[in-house]
Amino acid sequence: MEAPLLALREVTRRFGGLTAVDSVSAEIGRGELVGLIGPNGAGKTTLFNLISGVTPPSAGEVAFQGRVISGLRPFEVARLGVGRTFQNLRVFPNMTVFDNVSVGAIRGTGLGDALFSHGGQKARAISEVTTEMLAKVGLAGLVDELAANLSYGKRKLLEIARALAGRPKLLILDEPAAGLNDTETVELAHFIESLRAEGLTILVVEHDMGLVMRVCSRVIVLAFGRKIADADPASVQRDPAVLDAYLGAGDE
Amino acid sequence: MKARLNLALVAGLVLLLIGLVAFKSSYFDQIAITTMIFVILSASLNLITGSAGLLSLGHAAFFGVGAYTAALLSTRFGWPFWLTLPAAGAMAALVGAVVAVPTMRLTSIYFAVATLGIGEMIYVTMLNWVGLTRGPMGVRSIPGITLFGAEGMVFSMVVTAAVMLAALWVVHRLMHSYYGNSLRALREDDACADAMGIDVGRLKLQSFGVACCLAGFAGALFAHTTGFISPESFRFGESILVLSMVVVGGLGSLYGSVIGAVILTVLPELLRDLGSWRMITVGGVLFFSILFLPRGLVGEVSAIDLIRRQIRHAPGASRAAW
Repeated sequence: MEAPLLALREVTRRFGGLTAVDSVSAEIGRGELVGLIGPNGAGKTTLFNLISGVTPPSAGEVAFQGRVISGLRPFEVARLGVGRTFQNLRVFPNMTVFDNVSVGAIRGTGLGDALFSHGGQKARAISEVTTEMLAKVGLAGLVDELAANLSYGKRKLLEIARALAGRPKLLILDEPAAGLNDTETVELAHFIESLRAEGLTILVVEHDMGLVMRVCSRVIVLAFGRKIADADPASVQRDPAVLDAYLGAGDE
Repeated sequence: MKARLNLALVAGLVLLLIGLVAFKSSYFDQIAITTMIFVILSASLNLITGSAGLLSLGHAAFFGVGAYTAALLSTRFGWPFWLTLPAAGAMAALVGAVVAVPTMRLTSIYFAVATLGIGEMIYVTMLNWVGLTRGPMGVRSIPGITLFGAEGMVFSMVVTAAVMLAALWVVHRLMHSYYGNSLRALREDDACADAMGIDVGRLKLQSFGVACCLAGFAGALFAHTTGFISPESFRFGESILVLSMVVVGGLGSLYGSVIGAVILTVLPELLRDLGSWRMITVGGVLFFSILFLPRGLVGEVSAIDLIRRQIRHAPGASRAAW
């Protein structure tokens, strides 16, 4: 059998006495659209950071396409094909929309290319993918606008385009629905589904259940750093452990 | 990205400077050469501070490394200019890279403080390693610029202009390319650039090395055109003067750093009658430009914003943002 695209093997992360992620194992196959949810403080962000290389695991390992990636730096993980967006938007405000997106595609385009092959093959490839992704998210008309001048929703799209410009094999969206109204959330859901239809594997990390239940084919639930459920959305919603974690956590 | 270096402007500037030769006054010639040297310094500093957001407070020290390299190689070993020039650039880049390695892990304001310390260390070395540098007495009788038998003030000016244009071309290419975009991404949010697949450490080291190398070339020109150097020319105050040129012209704009260098070199000379008060004009120009033109004449980012972000994005703060 083919190795899963992403595999977490008993991944643990401790911060002092706190175990933020406790021996979590999970797999994401190619072409899947998986949700990762959990109440506040469940360890979602830590798990995200363990996958993207921001934090190394205390124990266990993360494998991408069968290769262990834990211990690699974030830029190395990104170059292997893991694209991400940020929970609290992190666009480059003093750069244009076009330049923002191009950063996702630049990778190691170096000094020599800039000096001696200005507008060469690499540069053309970057412009092409940038233009393509801007068209995909519907920002093609705003290429020369400074990112700082975009609305909140457009900045979210800009972040997705920037992640897509790296032609990722796995796209991780960190709370994409946060701050969006219902209409915008529905539009985002359609957009995520269209990306999946093109064959992209997507992991959606969400605090709120709404979007995840609508688009994901499988949902992983974390609570207190442990995986408490991993099933299709309908079963997860009926799972007593999940109900307990959410009800016990507060007002959900 | 779309912005083009205003070649007409630079060409005009060069013509103006060479035109000053018409005065047949070595005083004006010297101002013209000094201006071009400061154009190289401010353009190279703008690459790292304006584009990449690495606030360096020690740029004059690397200028000094280049100047001493050229001065010592020519006075002690009789190296000709066409060898001392690349040697000065290489030595400044090397020293820059060596001292930069440990500072590259530092971000924001900590990087600025580290470069301040490095600048002072280099200055103190120049001052106290008497056996090598002759300390406060400085190095005198440095031969002028000679190449294939050509020499003299006009020739020096032409060579300086050529080196300046080459340096501007390098900085222009690096700023206005995808490489420049990755530098700007570093300035805007280095952790995010890292997550987008950009090797932040390597990029910082590379751009710092290039800027130091260009400052080294400027140092060689300075040593050979003035004939005398001493540690005083490479102190913290000079670093701040170069930084002021960048800020007045505009962070991230090459064209701005050319204008900034011209204003802040020529203005104090025009006001020479004011005696020691004239240096206050530098402070005044800086003050009013930050007050009324926060982005400088043509900059991409406001200086105050850059500083504010550097303090806010101190480590710890940036971790918490994840």
